[in-house]
Amino acid sequence: MTTTLSKPSEVGVAQSPRPGRSGAAPRRRSSVVSRQKRAGWWMIAPALVQSVVFITVPTIAAILLAFTDYSFSGAPNFIGGANFVELFGDIRFRTALVNTVLYVLVVVPVSMAIALAVAIALNQKIRALGAFRTAYYIPVVTATVAVGTVWLWIFNSGSGLANGVLALFGLSPVGWLTDPNHALSSLMVVGIWQGLGAKMIIYLAALQGVSPQLVEAANLDGANRWQVFRFVTWPSLGPAQFFVLITSIVGTFQVFDLVYVTTKGGPGLATNVLVFDVYNNAFGSLRLGYASAETVIMMILIGGFIILGRRLQGANTHD
Amino acid sequence: MTSPSTAVQAIPGAIVPTRRRKKRVTIGRVALYLVLTVGAFLMIAPFLWMILTAFKSELEVARFTWLPAVWRWDNFVGAMQTAPFLQYFRNSLVIAVGETAVTLAICTMAGYVLSSIPIRGGKFLLNYFITLLMVPFQIILVPLFLIVKSVPLFGGNDIFGQGGTGWLNSWWGLIVPLAAAPIFTFLARQFYVSLPSELADAARMDGVGEFGIFWRIMTPLVKPALITIAVFQIEAAWNGFLWPLMITTTDDLRPLQLGLAIFSQNPASIQWPYLMAGTALATLPMVLLFVFAQKQFVEGMANVGLKG
Repeated sequence: MTTTLSKPSEVGVAQSPRPGRSGAAPRRRSSVVSRQKRAGWWMIAPALVQSVVFITVPTIAAILLAFTDYSFSGAPNFIGGANFVELFGDIRFRTALVNTVLYVLVVVPVSMAIALAVAIALNQKIRALGAFRTAYYIPVVTATVAVGTVWLWIFNSGSGLANGVLALFGLSPVGWLTDPNHALSSLMVVGIWQGLGAKMIIYLAALQGVSPQLVEAANLDGANRWQVFRFVTWPSLGPAQFFVLITSIVGTFQVFDLVYVTTKGGPGLATNVLVFDVYNNAFGSLRLGYASAETVIMMILIGGFIILGRRLQGANTHD
Repeated sequence: MTSPSTAVQAIPGAIVPTRRRKKRVTIGRVALYLVLTVGAFLMIAPFLWMILTAFKSELEVARFTWLPAVWRWDNFVGAMQTAPFLQYFRNSLVIAVGETAVTLAICTMAGYVLSSIPIRGGKFLLNYFITLLMVPFQIILVPLFLIVKSVPLFGGNDIFGQGGTGWLNSWWGLIVPLAAAPIFTFLARQFYVSLPSELADAARMDGVGEFGIFWRIMTPLVKPALITIAVFQIEAAWNGFLWPLMITTTDDLRPLQLGLAIFSQNPASIQWPYLMAGTALATLPMVLLFVFAQKQFVEGMANVGLKG
């Protein structure tokens, strides 16, 4: 190993220093690089194979199925865009679409804003940082099945915590999950609550990476707190914002477990969201092709939201 | 260096402003702590409620009370006896350890290659993994099920993957498809990117092989990354619900979350205290994991967004 590596360069240098160096170094580098590349392919292969077999192939299959009438049994027949035409006349799908978009539009910005505020507060060299961090992170480590059952209890119209608190202020009880006007908002509260901790941790980590020298310099120049935040902290958060935005949009669009455990899409269609509707069409009605068409629309929507979010952030992102 | 600062402190006029600033900060701090504490309470209230309910009697659960009249520790014993929780627990442990071990092995390698080795199409591969981040799991659920069912030469399948059940109802099926999410490859890449390439070059000069550079030189430097990835993957595996629901049919393989959901299947006859006791026991290991790993975890997260 050592001989192959050192030989050409030594010879090259020994013969004539200047042309030798410029001639031999690229050659040596190219042999190293090709060995590097070979090793690289071996090392990336397992992850690549795993992702192709278990993610890429199923995704392509789902897109192809969207143009068929596949229903678990029998061969899929190609039916063109019929599924998509039917979808836009389907009241269940249209409600799910509106509900999901509303849910994303509320949950993503609100939870990002609160998470950033909490992270900034926790970044003030405070005592018991570990305890606070843990408290805000607990909803993240708790499984949605557990979270769902606890909130089901809290929103319980008879003996739940939420109505108990309202009663303390002399307010009349609310059918949090049973009233169609409140059900989706109640789930939004749970969604914001649940996703806060993960975003907060990323912001907190990013804030610790903000250069103290820059902040000091800004302070010396007479910048007030808001100006320091706006012109020093905020731009340095750019890459973290990108990561938080993408993971939140994708994660929020995928809300399923919560709906499955708490409302099952009800009352009526009040909390019917896209993934839940997909699940129902695929495993309830066994209409796999139809469900796949729905997921294709969802993928396009997620892509659109990410582009939109990037545009909105664009002005403030550094890279 | 030292003399000017002591000189500044010696001047009385310099002390007064700092003192005044300290005082003003203290008032602000009280507000800060107050807001943070109220917020923290809101965050853990549902969790507290769960723990308190676990100690209550069936009757108490029917109306709104915070504290149980009598702390019924035997609810935990009762919950354990009503469902095979120990078995669910063991199953979750096997899945979490299996997925995390595979993830740590293959996602770090892939992340290292994407960050530091100039393979052809490296940029394309990076974008490929980022794109995969955006594919919701629910979308691929059904095709994935069909693929897992037709793994050749497993579960009575022939070489073309027909005739048997493949990886359904097996540890393989539970662990392998979820063992290397693209998000972990991307995370690992973000960490390796922040290491100086001079380190690898120096090791290469000393005749260290490419795998040796990855394994012995670079990977020990990204320990926070390994902890971050491990914590994320353990949590994901521990809290997994939909996939095990689809591919297992017996208690032999079912993990905790599934056990809990089955436990609460019939809303009319849910024994809330038992369910909450089971839920509390299921959540506790993950809370402890975070408590002990959080410092490294936050440090690890600090690298995630550094270089796009």
